[in-house]
Amino acid sequence: MAGRRNLPPADKSLCRRCQSPDTAITVRTEPLCKACFDKYVQTKVVKRMETFRVKNSEPGKEKTLLLPLSFGPCSTALLYTLSRHLKNQIDKSGRPGFKLHVLHIEQPDEPPAQPLLDQLQSRFPEHTYAAVPLASITSLPHLLPSTLQPPSSLASLLSTLPTPTARADLSAHLLRKLIAHHARETHSAAILLGDSTTRLAERALAETAKGRGFAVPWLVSDGPISSAPTPSEAGDGQGEIPTYHPLRDLLSKELVPFVAFAEPPLTPFLRTASESQAAPAAMKNSTIDALTRGYFAGVEEEYPSIVANVVRTTSKLQAREVGAGELGCELCDVPLEGAAPERSRLCWGCVRTMQGVGAAS
Amino acid sequence: MPPRECEICHTNRAQILRPKNHARICAPCFIAIFEDEVAETVTSTNLFNPGERVAIGASGGKDSTVLASVLKTLNDRHNWGLDLVLLSIDEGITGYRDHSLEAVKRHSEQYDLPLKIVSYADLYGWSMDQVVAQVGKKGNCTYCGVFRRQALDRGAAMLGVGHVVTGHNADDVAETVLMNLLRGDLPRLSRATSIVTSTPSAALPENGEGEIKFTNVKRSKPLIYAYEKEIVMYAHHKKLDYFSTECIYSPEAFRGSARTLIKNLERIRPESILDVVRSGIDMAKLVPGAEEQNSQRACGGENKAAAAKTDEGDGLGGCGSSKESGGEMAAMEQKLLQDEEAQANGNEVEIKMPKKTVNSQNGVARDTQDAADAEIDVKNGQQQSPAQQTVPIRTKEEKKSRKRGKDAPPPKQKLGQCERCGYLSSQSVCKACVLLEGLNKARPRTGIEVGGGD
Ligand SMILES: [Zn+2]
Ligand SMILES: [Zn+2]
Repeated sequence: MAGRRNLPPADKSLCRRCQSPDTAITVRTEPLCKACFDKYVQTKVVKRMETFRVKNSEPGKEKTLLLPLSFGPCSTALLYTLSRHLKNQIDKSGRPGFKLHVLHIEQPDEPPAQPLLDQLQSRFPEHTYAAVPLASITSLPHLLPSTLQPPSSLASLLSTLPTPTARADLSAHLLRKLIAHHARETHSAAILLGDSTTRLAERALAETAKGRGFAVPWLVSDGPISSAPTPSEAGDGQGEIPTYHPLRDLLSKELVPFVAFAEPPLTPFLRTASESQAAPAAMKNSTIDALTRGYFAGVEEEYPSIVANVVRTTSKLQAREVGAGELGCELCDVPLEGAAPERSRLCWGCVRTMQGVGAAS
Repeated sequence: MPPRECEICHTNRAQILRPKNHARICAPCFIAIFEDEVAETVTSTNLFNPGERVAIGASGGKDSTVLASVLKTLNDRHNWGLDLVLLSIDEGITGYRDHSLEAVKRHSEQYDLPLKIVSYADLYGWSMDQVVAQVGKKGNCTYCGVFRRQALDRGAAMLGVGHVVTGHNADDVAETVLMNLLRGDLPRLSRATSIVTSTPSAALPENGEGEIKFTNVKRSKPLIYAYEKEIVMYAHHKKLDYFSTECIYSPEAFRGSARTLIKNLERIRPESILDVVRSGIDMAKLVPGAEEQNSQRACGGENKAAAAKTDEGDGLGGCGSSKESGGEMAAMEQKLLQDEEAQANGNEVEIKMPKKTVNSQNGVARDTQDAADAEIDVKNGQQQSPAQQTVPIRTKEEKKSRKRGKDAPPPKQKLGQCERCGYLSSQSVCKACVLLEGLNKARPRTGIEVGGGD
């Protein structure tokens, strides 16, 4: 259509970048060989790490960045690419731009993470590692909303909620709170989440469906936000720790093969999604998060740019300025002003999640 | 299981599982609460002025039938003093509107509300049958769609009514929110959630002769918080007779996608529909320039509203909202890819794309393209069976790009009014007038101008 394609039509069977005949994957319309695909992914990640370049760091006082690792393909890809990035920084400048601290939050139903973390440590010995059970949140009652006080066990907390959607939502927020808590404990300068474009789009849509449309800008944006909400866990004067999504320009369907292609293989470090994450047969037993995940899994196959566009578009939303001392929602930590029913310490979305709490008792 | 008692009156047996929140209630309590909630919507938003003349866009379908019944009931009950009138549009397609118009006529008697039927022939000088005779069956959808968008406003103005209410419900609004999220259209996402989509200008709503200009017709949706399922339920328990339109239009891909999502969300958590509407309202406040837009609208800059009307149609159903269907997502994907490439190559490539693209400025591109579509359709003049009307025709793409030079758009104008008819338009001449010009050229004996300008 446009006059810019003056080159003779490329042979569709060759890698678009190096003309190698061994193409491994098609990335947005372009066939690429493994090496060029690897470079493509690495470049996309590095581009999002500009803030943590060597020249921005003090020699010997590199900032610690917290990388929550789920053993899924995305966060594993992030660990892998950032490890290479650090090596490159050292090769080029003689020192790294940052340090990585890898944190795994153990879900109640999963096997112990330590053996896997030990293996990772021998593969990437330059980072520090920790595993914390999600259940430990109950020993940090100040992180929990007042409606869940006094906290008993995690299982009983979750069982107070009547629907799978509410349980998944609460669980996700507890996970996020625990990560933020750990980031403060380790004096991390930032949290690097392994969310792909696809994942961000899923979350934007899911939060919209859960009545938290107002919170979407905080969810999808990168770096410190001028109007960052006050975390419910106040006191150490550190404020909210900025969050980055270095995989935000990559699709989930690109990261899965990327991890599979890695040499030596990363597959030993991957854990496949547990049964509980598979979509249940009946829609009403499903969760809103699972629905949006399934939806975008379909869309990214055929229309990857539309997925990316959802993220780009929602990133343009302007987070509301937060007044000094404005309280955050007790569960999701977004500012409450205008987003909460009267006299509630929870936002609309969290009221919805917590509805039915205590109804059983 | 023993019969449960109604959660509201604790007297009757619960016979209804309320779709909105799964409350178990009796039919009388359901009807009462449904009506109370619509009344609450109306009063909390100061939707009507006392004594206001209000036209109910009536198609004979469930939404507008329930709207008419509820507004009549509430108007009498609360002494709102509204002068209500049913307004129906007759496209002039033999055999198409007959049944639905019959239903509206019955409603007019049952609810004791005057009915005005305004035909395309009255409004445009052309019935759809005449348009088809002129341009062939292919492409007549473009005409119907463009004419339809303005018909309610023109009809209302013709009757001297300054306010039209439509039957858009919560499902429709939630769907539009998700649809615009998916296609990355923030301005539309934000407009979809306002209960009033076109604020009358601060200028006098009437011209010299005491007529209302149709640019000043206000549109609102009192059922914005009512669930589709509850509307059906209300109609059932009130024994309202309505005409169930066979869904003859296949929605655009994004809308279809959004509709499926809404249905599934409702199954997972019934409150989701309202939550999406709430999210949409909250996100609207975060759209860059939202404040500015609002203040603009408040002081009469109503240009943005034009697109809002375009976007959501009139709630009267019909083929107008379909246009090209299936290829929409693919077309957008392609457009986005080209944008990405262009950006990567660092050079601005001018790509004219099929409608429904991303940026807010698109009102302009879209209008142009639509007009161009129509031109092409006229020129091709091919016959196509009605069943095929909404099937996307791939080869069109190429035709468009070749023809573009010839079918140059009318000179751009800052969002404003059509210079011929005064309708809100991003072009100096609105789409309807462009189409009419084509039609009238081919029928030299007529010199029919769109009303409002003379
Ligand atoms: Zn919250
Ligand atoms: Zn009752």
